[in-house]
Amino acid sequence: MSERFKYRGDREAHSAARVRALEALLIKKGIITDRTVDTVLEFFETKMGPFNGAKIVARAWIDPAFKERLVADTSKAIAELDLPDGMAGAEGEHMRAVANTPGVHNLIICTLCSCYPWPVLGLPPYWYKDPTFRSRAAREPRAVLAEFGLPISEDVEVKVWDSSAQIRWFVVPERPAGTEGLSETDLEALVTPEAMMGVAVAKAA
Amino acid sequence: MKLQHYLGGLEGLGPVSTETKVFVEAWETRIFGIHTAMMALSTQLPLPQTPSAFNTIWTWADLRKGAESLNPFDYFKYRYYEKWLGGIAGYFIQHGYITEEELDALTEEYCQDLSKPLPTAGDAAIDDRVVQYLVEGDSAKRDVPVVAEFSVGDLVRIENVPSVEHTRLPGFLRNKTGIVESVYPGAYAYLCDTGSDGIGPAMTVYCVRFDPSDLWPGNAEPNFSLYADLYARYVASADVSVSAKAA
Repeated sequence: MSERFKYRGDREAHSAARVRALEALLIKKGIITDRTVDTVLEFFETKMGPFNGAKIVARAWIDPAFKERLVADTSKAIAELDLPDGMAGAEGEHMRAVANTPGVHNLIICTLCSCYPWPVLGLPPYWYKDPTFRSRAAREPRAVLAEFGLPISEDVEVKVWDSSAQIRWFVVPERPAGTEGLSETDLEALVTPEAMMGVAVAKAA
Repeated sequence: MKLQHYLGGLEGLGPVSTETKVFVEAWETRIFGIHTAMMALSTQLPLPQTPSAFNTIWTWADLRKGAESLNPFDYFKYRYYEKWLGGIAGYFIQHGYITEEELDALTEEYCQDLSKPLPTAGDAAIDDRVVQYLVEGDSAKRDVPVVAEFSVGDLVRIENVPSVEHTRLPGFLRNKTGIVESVYPGAYAYLCDTGSDGIGPAMTVYCVRFDPSDLWPGNAEPNFSLYADLYARYVASADVSVSAKAA
Protein backbone atom coordinates (compact mmCIF):
# COMPACT_ATOMS: atom_id res chain seq x y z
CA MET A 1 0.00 0.00 0.00
CA SER A 2 2.91 2.38 0.72
CA GLU A 3 3.62 2.86 -2.96
CA ARG A 4 0.00 3.59 -3.81
CA PHE A 5 -0.83 6.33 -1.27
CA LYS A 6 0.96 9.46 -0.11
CA TYR A 7 1.91 9.61 3.55
CA ARG A 8 3.38 12.41 5.63
CA GLY A 9 7.18 12.22 5.72
CA ASP A 10 7.30 11.61 9.49
CA ARG A 11 4.47 9.07 9.44
CA GLU A 12 5.68 6.80 12.26
CA ALA A 13 7.32 9.52 14.36
CA HIS A 14 4.11 11.52 14.27
CA SER A 15 1.98 8.54 15.32
CA ALA A 16 4.42 7.71 18.11
CA ALA A 17 4.24 11.29 19.40
CA ARG A 18 0.45 11.44 19.04
CA VAL A 19 -0.23 8.21 20.91
CA ARG A 20 2.18 9.31 23.65
CA ALA A 21 0.38 12.64 23.88
CA LEU A 22 -2.96 10.83 24.07
CA GLU A 23 -1.71 8.49 26.79
CA ALA A 24 -0.27 11.44 28.73
CA LEU A 25 -3.57 13.34 28.57
CA LEU A 26 -5.57 10.28 29.62
CA ILE A 27 -3.28 9.79 32.64
CA LYS A 28 -3.37 13.49 33.53
CA LYS A 29 -7.18 13.53 33.38
CA GLY A 30 -7.57 10.44 35.55
CA ILE A 31 -8.97 8.16 32.85
CA ILE A 32 -6.16 5.63 33.09
CA THR A 33 -3.06 5.36 35.28
CA ASP A 34 0.60 5.52 34.36
CA ARG A 35 0.64 1.70 34.67
CA THR A 36 -2.53 0.83 32.72
CA VAL A 37 -1.12 0.29 29.25
CA ASP A 38 1.83 -1.73 30.57
CA THR A 39 -0.56 -3.81 32.71
CA VAL A 40 -2.48 -4.74 29.58
CA LEU A 41 0.67 -5.59 27.63
CA GLU A 42 2.05 -7.70 30.48
CA PHE A 43 -1.20 -9.68 30.58
CA PHE A 44 -0.62 -10.69 26.97
CA GLU A 45 2.93 -11.74 27.73
CA THR A 46 1.95 -14.09 30.52
CA LYS A 47 -1.75 -15.02 30.55
CA MET A 48 -3.20 -14.84 27.04
CA GLY A 49 -1.03 -15.97 24.17
CA PRO A 50 -0.06 -18.69 21.70
CA PHE A 51 1.62 -20.58 24.55
CA ASN A 52 -1.90 -21.58 25.65
CA GLY A 53 -2.91 -22.68 22.17
CA ALA A 54 0.21 -24.78 21.81
CA LYS A 55 -0.64 -26.68 25.01
CA ILE A 56 -4.21 -27.26 23.85
CA VAL A 57 -3.09 -28.65 20.48
CA ALA A 58 -0.33 -30.80 21.97
CA ARG A 59 -2.86 -32.34 24.35
CA ALA A 60 -5.25 -32.93 21.44
CA TRP A 61 -2.51 -34.75 19.55
CA ILE A 62 -1.68 -37.00 22.48
CA ASP A 63 -5.24 -37.65 23.59
CA PRO A 64 -7.75 -38.28 20.76
CA ALA A 65 -10.69 -38.31 23.17
CA PHE A 66 -9.69 -34.82 24.38
CA LYS A 67 -9.51 -33.69 20.76
CA GLU A 68 -13.09 -34.91 20.21
CA ARG A 69 -14.26 -33.03 23.32
CA LEU A 70 -12.35 -29.94 22.16
CA VAL A 71 -14.25 -29.87 18.87
CA ALA A 72 -17.60 -30.72 20.47
CA ASP A 73 -17.49 -28.14 23.30
CA THR A 74 -14.34 -26.08 23.01
CA SER A 75 -14.51 -23.96 26.17
CA LYS A 76 -15.48 -26.91 28.34
CA ALA A 77 -12.54 -28.99 27.07
CA ILE A 78 -10.08 -26.12 27.53
CA ALA A 79 -11.24 -25.78 31.15
CA GLU A 80 -9.91 -29.31 31.79
CA LEU A 81 -6.33 -28.11 31.28
CA ASP A 82 -4.07 -26.29 33.70
CA LEU A 83 -3.95 -22.91 31.93
CA PRO A 84 -3.90 -19.31 33.26
CA ASP A 85 -7.04 -17.61 34.57
CA GLY A 86 -9.00 -16.00 31.77
CA MET A 87 -9.36 -18.77 29.19
CA ALA A 88 -13.06 -17.84 29.03
CA GLY A 89 -12.26 -14.16 29.41
CA ALA A 90 -11.98 -11.33 26.91
CA GLU A 91 -12.50 -12.62 23.36
CA GLY A 92 -12.66 -16.18 24.67
CA GLU A 93 -16.19 -16.19 26.05
CA HIS A 94 -17.43 -18.35 23.17
CA MET A 95 -14.90 -20.35 21.16
CA ARG A 96 -15.01 -23.11 18.57
CA ALA A 97 -12.16 -25.34 17.47
CA VAL A 98 -12.20 -27.10 14.10
CA ALA A 99 -9.80 -29.95 13.37
CA ASN A 100 -7.81 -30.46 10.19
CA THR A 101 -7.77 -33.98 8.74
CA PRO A 102 -6.02 -35.43 5.69
CA GLY A 103 -9.19 -34.65 3.73
CA VAL A 104 -10.21 -31.29 5.24
CA HIS A 105 -8.26 -28.06 5.70
CA ASN A 106 -9.77 -25.28 7.82
CA LEU A 107 -9.04 -21.55 7.56
CA ILE A 108 -10.28 -18.84 9.94
CA ILE A 109 -11.00 -15.30 8.69
CA CYS A 110 -12.85 -12.19 9.81
CA THR A 111 -14.05 -10.29 6.74
CA LEU A 112 -15.64 -7.56 8.89
CA CYS A 113 -12.73 -6.79 11.23
CA SER A 114 -10.18 -9.00 13.05
CA CYS A 115 -11.99 -11.18 15.60
CA TYR A 116 -9.41 -13.52 17.16
CA PRO A 117 -9.39 -16.00 20.10
CA TRP A 118 -7.32 -13.94 22.55
CA PRO A 119 -6.98 -16.43 25.43
CA VAL A 120 -5.79 -19.20 23.10
CA LEU A 121 -3.61 -17.27 20.68
CA GLY A 122 -3.08 -13.77 22.12
CA LEU A 123 -3.26 -10.91 19.66
CA PRO A 124 -3.68 -11.29 15.91
CA PRO A 125 -0.69 -11.08 13.57
CA TYR A 126 -0.65 -8.39 10.89
CA TRP A 127 -1.47 -10.80 8.06
CA TYR A 128 -4.79 -11.70 9.71
CA LYS A 129 -5.81 -8.06 10.14
CA ASP A 130 -4.90 -6.99 6.60
CA PRO A 131 -7.87 -6.14 4.34
CA THR A 132 -6.23 -7.94 1.40
CA PHE A 133 -6.23 -11.25 3.28
CA ARG A 134 -9.72 -10.69 4.62
CA SER A 135 -11.06 -10.01 1.13
CA ARG A 136 -9.21 -12.68 -0.86
CA ALA A 137 -9.39 -15.59 1.61
CA ALA A 138 -13.20 -15.56 1.39
CA ARG A 139 -13.16 -16.36 -2.35
CA GLU A 140 -9.77 -17.94 -3.18
CA PRO A 141 -8.40 -19.63 -0.05
CA ARG A 142 -5.99 -21.94 -1.87
CA ALA A 143 -4.45 -19.06 -3.83
CA VAL A 144 -3.96 -17.18 -0.56
CA LEU A 145 -2.53 -20.25 1.21
CA ALA A 146 -0.09 -20.73 -1.68
CA GLU A 147 1.23 -17.22 -0.96
CA PHE A 148 1.82 -18.39 2.61
CA GLY A 149 3.83 -21.29 1.18
CA LEU A 150 1.09 -23.84 1.86
CA PRO A 151 -0.20 -25.59 -1.26
CA ILE A 152 -3.58 -27.30 -0.75
CA SER A 153 -4.75 -29.59 -3.54
CA GLU A 154 -8.25 -29.42 -4.99
CA ASP A 155 -8.78 -32.97 -3.61
CA VAL A 156 -8.61 -31.60 -0.08
CA GLU A 157 -11.81 -29.90 1.04
CA VAL A 158 -11.28 -26.35 2.30
CA LYS A 159 -13.57 -24.87 4.93
CA VAL A 160 -13.34 -21.14 5.57
CA TRP A 161 -14.99 -19.85 8.77
CA ASP A 162 -15.92 -16.13 8.87
CA SER A 163 -15.99 -14.85 12.47
CA SER A 164 -19.00 -12.56 12.05
CA ALA A 165 -20.69 -12.96 15.45
CA GLN A 166 -19.76 -14.00 18.99
CA ILE A 167 -17.68 -17.10 18.23
CA ARG A 168 -13.87 -16.91 18.23
CA TRP A 169 -12.49 -19.68 16.06
CA PHE A 170 -9.24 -21.60 15.86
CA VAL A 171 -7.89 -24.65 14.07
CA VAL A 172 -6.41 -27.83 15.50
CA PRO A 173 -3.69 -28.57 12.92
CA GLU A 174 -2.73 -32.14 12.09
CA ARG A 175 0.05 -33.74 14.07
CA PRO A 176 3.20 -33.78 11.91
CA ALA A 177 4.56 -37.11 10.76
CA GLY A 178 7.49 -38.62 12.66
CA THR A 179 6.56 -37.10 16.04
CA GLU A 180 5.49 -40.30 17.76
CA GLY A 181 8.28 -40.28 20.34
CA LEU A 182 8.06 -36.61 21.31
CA SER A 183 6.98 -35.40 24.74
CA GLU A 184 3.99 -33.10 25.12
CA THR A 185 6.37 -30.17 25.73
CA ASP A 186 8.30 -30.99 22.56
CA LEU A 187 5.03 -31.17 20.62
CA GLU A 188 4.01 -27.71 21.91
CA ALA A 189 7.09 -26.25 20.24
CA LEU A 190 5.80 -27.37 16.82
CA VAL A 191 2.53 -25.41 17.06
CA THR A 192 2.40 -21.87 15.62
CA PRO A 193 -0.36 -19.24 15.58
CA GLU A 194 -0.36 -19.52 11.79
CA ALA A 195 -1.03 -23.27 12.02
CA MET A 196 -3.83 -22.57 14.50
CA MET A 197 -5.58 -20.18 12.12
CA GLY A 198 -5.05 -22.30 9.01
CA VAL A 199 -2.41 -20.49 6.94
CA ALA A 200 0.27 -23.01 7.87
CA VAL A 201 0.68 -26.56 9.09
CA ALA A 202 2.47 -27.39 12.31
CA LYS A 203 6.27 -27.40 12.13
CA ALA A 204 8.10 -30.57 11.23
CA ALA A 205 9.74 -32.49 14.05
CA MET B 1 -23.35 1.16 1.50
CA LYS B 2 -19.89 0.83 3.05
CA LEU B 3 -17.10 -1.02 1.29
CA GLN B 4 -15.86 -2.05 4.74
CA HIS B 5 -18.95 -4.30 5.09
CA TYR B 6 -18.41 -5.90 1.66
CA LEU B 7 -14.73 -6.89 1.65
CA GLY B 8 -15.25 -10.63 1.19
CA GLY B 9 -14.30 -11.62 -2.36
CA LEU B 10 -12.93 -8.24 -3.50
CA GLU B 11 -10.42 -8.76 -6.32
CA GLY B 12 -7.38 -7.01 -7.74
CA LEU B 13 -5.75 -6.36 -4.36
CA GLY B 14 -2.39 -7.99 -5.04
CA PRO B 15 -0.46 -10.33 -2.74
CA VAL B 16 -1.37 -10.83 0.90
CA SER B 17 0.94 -9.68 3.68
CA THR B 18 2.59 -12.61 5.48
CA GLU B 19 3.83 -10.43 8.36
CA THR B 20 3.58 -12.48 11.57
CA LYS B 21 4.27 -9.65 14.01
CA VAL B 22 1.30 -8.36 16.00
CA PHE B 23 2.76 -4.84 16.17
CA VAL B 24 5.05 -3.52 13.45
CA GLU B 25 5.92 -0.30 15.34
CA ALA B 26 6.45 0.08 19.09
CA TRP B 27 3.89 2.92 19.32
CA GLU B 28 1.11 0.54 18.21
CA THR B 29 1.28 -1.29 21.55
CA ARG B 30 0.15 1.87 23.33
CA ILE B 31 -3.09 2.40 21.36
CA PHE B 32 -3.87 -1.28 21.86
CA GLY B 33 -3.48 -0.85 25.62
CA ILE B 34 -5.64 2.28 25.61
CA HIS B 35 -8.45 0.56 23.66
CA THR B 36 -8.42 -2.43 26.02
CA ALA B 37 -8.54 -0.13 29.06
CA MET B 38 -11.49 1.76 27.57
CA MET B 39 -13.40 -1.48 27.05
CA ALA B 40 -12.62 -2.51 30.65
CA LEU B 41 -13.74 0.84 32.08
CA SER B 42 -16.83 1.12 29.89
CA THR B 43 -19.85 1.98 32.02
CA GLN B 44 -22.21 -0.79 30.88
CA LEU B 45 -20.06 -3.53 32.45
CA PRO B 46 -21.03 -4.96 35.86
CA LEU B 47 -17.49 -4.40 37.22
CA PRO B 48 -16.52 -2.50 40.39
CA GLN B 49 -16.66 1.29 40.19
CA THR B 50 -13.21 2.90 40.12
CA PRO B 51 -11.92 6.49 40.46
CA SER B 52 -11.46 6.60 36.68
CA ALA B 53 -12.88 9.67 34.96
CA PHE B 54 -14.04 7.45 32.07
CA ASN B 55 -17.83 7.67 32.24
CA THR B 56 -19.04 6.64 28.80
CA ILE B 57 -19.46 3.44 26.78
CA TRP B 58 -16.72 2.00 24.58
CA THR B 59 -16.90 -1.46 23.09
CA TRP B 60 -15.65 -3.27 19.98
CA ALA B 61 -18.74 -1.87 18.24
CA ASP B 62 -17.49 1.70 18.76
CA LEU B 63 -14.02 0.84 17.43
CA ARG B 64 -15.55 -0.92 14.42
CA LYS B 65 -17.94 1.98 13.70
CA GLY B 66 -14.98 4.35 13.66
CA ALA B 67 -13.14 2.24 11.09
CA GLU B 68 -16.29 1.67 9.06
CA SER B 69 -16.98 5.42 8.88
CA LEU B 70 -13.67 6.11 7.13
CA ASN B 71 -13.38 6.96 3.44
CA PRO B 72 -12.87 3.45 1.96
CA PHE B 73 -9.60 4.53 0.36
CA ASP B 74 -8.34 5.68 3.77
CA TYR B 75 -9.43 2.33 5.17
CA PHE B 76 -6.92 0.69 2.82
CA LYS B 77 -4.35 3.48 3.09
CA TYR B 78 -3.95 3.43 6.87
CA ARG B 79 -2.58 0.46 8.76
CA TYR B 80 -4.72 -1.28 11.35
CA TYR B 81 -3.47 0.59 14.43
CA GLU B 82 -3.32 3.91 12.56
CA LYS B 83 -7.07 3.55 12.14
CA TRP B 84 -7.41 2.78 15.86
CA LEU B 85 -5.41 5.88 16.82
CA GLY B 86 -7.55 8.11 14.64
CA GLY B 87 -10.82 6.64 15.87
CA ILE B 88 -9.93 6.60 19.56
CA ALA B 89 -8.42 10.12 19.59
CA GLY B 90 -11.57 11.29 17.82
CA TYR B 91 -13.78 9.57 20.43
CA PHE B 92 -12.02 11.27 23.36
CA ILE B 93 -12.32 14.66 21.63
CA GLN B 94 -15.95 14.10 20.62
CA HIS B 95 -16.93 13.15 24.19
CA GLY B 96 -15.15 16.13 25.68
CA TYR B 97 -12.44 14.30 27.63
CA ILE B 98 -9.70 16.16 25.74
CA THR B 99 -9.60 18.91 23.14
CA GLU B 100 -8.05 18.61 19.71
CA GLU B 101 -5.95 21.69 20.51
CA GLU B 102 -4.37 20.19 23.58
CA LEU B 103 -3.76 16.88 21.80
CA ASP B 104 -2.11 18.68 18.87
CA ALA B 105 -0.01 20.83 21.20
CA LEU B 106 1.21 17.90 23.29
CA THR B 107 1.84 15.85 20.13
CA GLU B 108 4.14 18.63 18.94
CA GLU B 109 6.00 18.54 22.28
CA TYR B 110 6.55 14.79 22.00
CA CYS B 111 7.55 15.19 18.35
CA GLN B 112 10.34 17.44 19.59
CA ASP B 113 11.30 15.02 22.37
CA LEU B 114 9.69 11.58 22.42
CA SER B 115 11.59 10.70 25.60
CA LYS B 116 9.76 13.38 27.63
CA PRO B 117 8.19 11.39 30.48
CA LEU B 118 4.54 10.52 30.84
CA PRO B 119 2.74 11.88 33.93
CA THR B 120 2.88 9.72 37.06
CA ALA B 121 -0.57 9.25 38.48
CA GLY B 122 -3.45 6.90 39.08
CA ASP B 123 -5.32 4.65 41.41
CA ALA B 124 -4.48 0.94 41.31
CA ALA B 125 -8.20 0.14 41.38
CA ILE B 126 -8.35 1.25 37.74
CA ASP B 127 -5.71 -1.29 36.71
CA ASP B 128 -7.34 -3.99 38.86
CA ARG B 129 -10.57 -3.49 36.92
CA VAL B 130 -8.72 -3.75 33.61
CA VAL B 131 -7.24 -7.10 34.65
CA GLN B 132 -10.61 -8.29 35.93
CA TYR B 133 -12.17 -7.43 32.56
CA LEU B 134 -9.52 -9.45 30.72
CA VAL B 135 -9.96 -12.45 33.03
CA GLU B 136 -13.77 -12.42 33.18
CA GLY B 137 -14.59 -11.16 29.69
CA ASP B 138 -17.92 -9.79 28.56
CA SER B 139 -20.13 -12.62 27.41
CA ALA B 140 -22.71 -11.93 24.73
CA LYS B 141 -24.96 -14.71 26.07
CA ARG B 142 -28.15 -13.56 27.79
CA ASP B 143 -30.32 -15.58 30.14
CA VAL B 144 -33.48 -15.17 28.06
CA PRO B 145 -35.52 -17.98 26.58
CA VAL B 146 -35.51 -18.27 22.80
CA VAL B 147 -36.89 -20.78 20.36
CA ALA B 148 -34.66 -21.11 17.35
CA GLU B 149 -36.68 -20.81 14.16
CA PHE B 150 -34.28 -23.00 12.15
CA SER B 151 -32.52 -26.32 12.71
CA VAL B 152 -29.31 -27.91 11.48
CA GLY B 153 -29.67 -28.76 7.79
CA ASP B 154 -32.35 -26.17 7.03
CA LEU B 155 -32.06 -24.18 3.83
CA VAL B 156 -32.08 -20.47 4.67
CA ARG B 157 -31.90 -17.19 2.78
CA ILE B 158 -29.96 -14.20 4.04
CA GLU B 159 -32.01 -11.05 4.43
CA ASN B 160 -31.08 -7.79 2.73
CA VAL B 161 -31.50 -5.85 5.98
CA PRO B 162 -31.36 -2.03 5.86
CA SER B 163 -27.97 -1.40 7.42
CA VAL B 164 -26.89 2.18 7.89
CA GLU B 165 -24.00 2.84 10.25
CA HIS B 166 -22.94 -0.63 11.36
CA THR B 167 -23.69 -4.28 10.76
CA ARG B 168 -22.42 -7.78 11.47
CA LEU B 169 -23.75 -9.09 8.18
CA PRO B 170 -20.94 -9.60 5.66
CA GLY B 171 -22.32 -7.87 2.57
CA PHE B 172 -21.42 -10.62 0.12
CA LEU B 173 -23.96 -12.91 1.83
CA ARG B 174 -27.00 -10.69 1.28
CA ASN B 175 -29.83 -12.49 -0.56
CA LYS B 176 -27.76 -15.68 -0.74
CA THR B 177 -28.96 -19.14 0.21
CA GLY B 178 -27.15 -21.32 2.72
CA ILE B 179 -27.59 -24.35 4.94
CA VAL B 180 -27.61 -24.19 8.74
CA GLU B 181 -24.49 -25.93 10.07
CA SER B 182 -25.14 -25.21 13.78
CA VAL B 183 -27.58 -23.48 16.04
CA TYR B 184 -25.71 -21.97 18.97
CA PRO B 185 -27.56 -22.82 22.19
CA GLY B 186 -29.23 -19.86 23.83
CA ALA B 187 -29.48 -16.18 22.88
CA TYR B 188 -26.75 -13.67 22.16
CA ALA B 189 -26.85 -9.90 22.33
CA TYR B 190 -24.68 -7.57 20.27
CA LEU B 191 -22.61 -4.77 21.80
CA CYS B 192 -24.81 -2.00 20.43
CA ASP B 193 -28.20 -1.60 18.84
CA THR B 194 -27.71 -1.37 15.07
CA GLY B 195 -31.08 0.27 14.41
CA SER B 196 -32.76 -0.85 11.21
CA ASP B 197 -30.01 -3.44 10.66
CA GLY B 198 -31.73 -5.23 13.52
CA ILE B 199 -29.18 -6.68 15.95
CA GLY B 200 -28.51 -5.74 19.54
CA PRO B 201 -31.17 -7.58 21.56
CA ALA B 202 -30.51 -11.21 22.51
CA MET B 203 -31.35 -13.64 19.73
CA THR B 204 -30.31 -16.97 18.26
CA VAL B 205 -27.09 -17.11 16.25
CA TYR B 206 -26.65 -19.61 13.44
CA CYS B 207 -23.56 -20.90 11.69
CA VAL B 208 -24.55 -21.07 8.03
CA ARG B 209 -22.67 -22.81 5.20
CA PHE B 210 -22.50 -21.23 1.77
CA ASP B 211 -21.38 -22.55 -1.61
CA PRO B 212 -18.79 -20.13 -3.02
CA SER B 213 -19.83 -21.01 -6.58
CA ASP B 214 -23.17 -19.44 -5.64
CA LEU B 215 -21.52 -16.41 -4.01
CA TRP B 216 -19.11 -15.81 -6.90
CA PRO B 217 -20.48 -17.74 -9.89
CA GLY B 218 -17.78 -18.96 -12.24
CA ASN B 219 -15.15 -17.28 -10.07
CA ALA B 220 -14.59 -19.43 -6.98
CA GLU B 221 -12.27 -22.33 -6.17
CA PRO B 222 -13.73 -25.86 -6.19
CA ASN B 223 -14.24 -28.18 -3.22
CA PHE B 224 -14.59 -25.35 -0.70
CA SER B 225 -17.31 -24.14 1.66
CA LEU B 226 -17.61 -20.79 3.40
CA TYR B 227 -19.27 -20.56 6.82
CA ALA B 228 -20.47 -17.44 8.62
CA ASP B 229 -21.94 -16.92 12.08
CA LEU B 230 -25.13 -14.92 11.60
CA TYR B 231 -27.56 -13.34 14.04
CA ALA B 232 -31.12 -14.61 13.59
CA ARG B 233 -32.30 -11.23 12.29
CA TYR B 234 -30.20 -11.82 9.18
CA VAL B 235 -31.52 -15.34 8.51
CA ALA B 236 -34.86 -16.10 6.87
CA SER B 237 -36.55 -19.14 5.46
CA ALA B 238 -35.57 -20.02 1.91
CA ASP B 239 -39.13 -21.22 1.40
CA VAL B 240 -40.83 -18.34 -0.43
CA SER B 241 -44.32 -19.42 0.61
CA VAL B 242 -43.33 -19.40 4.30
CA SER B 243 -41.82 -15.90 4.02
CA ALA B 244 -44.96 -14.60 2.30
CA LYS B 245 -47.15 -15.95 5.11
CA ALA B 246 -44.94 -14.35 7.78
CA ALA B 247 -44.98 -10.93 6.07
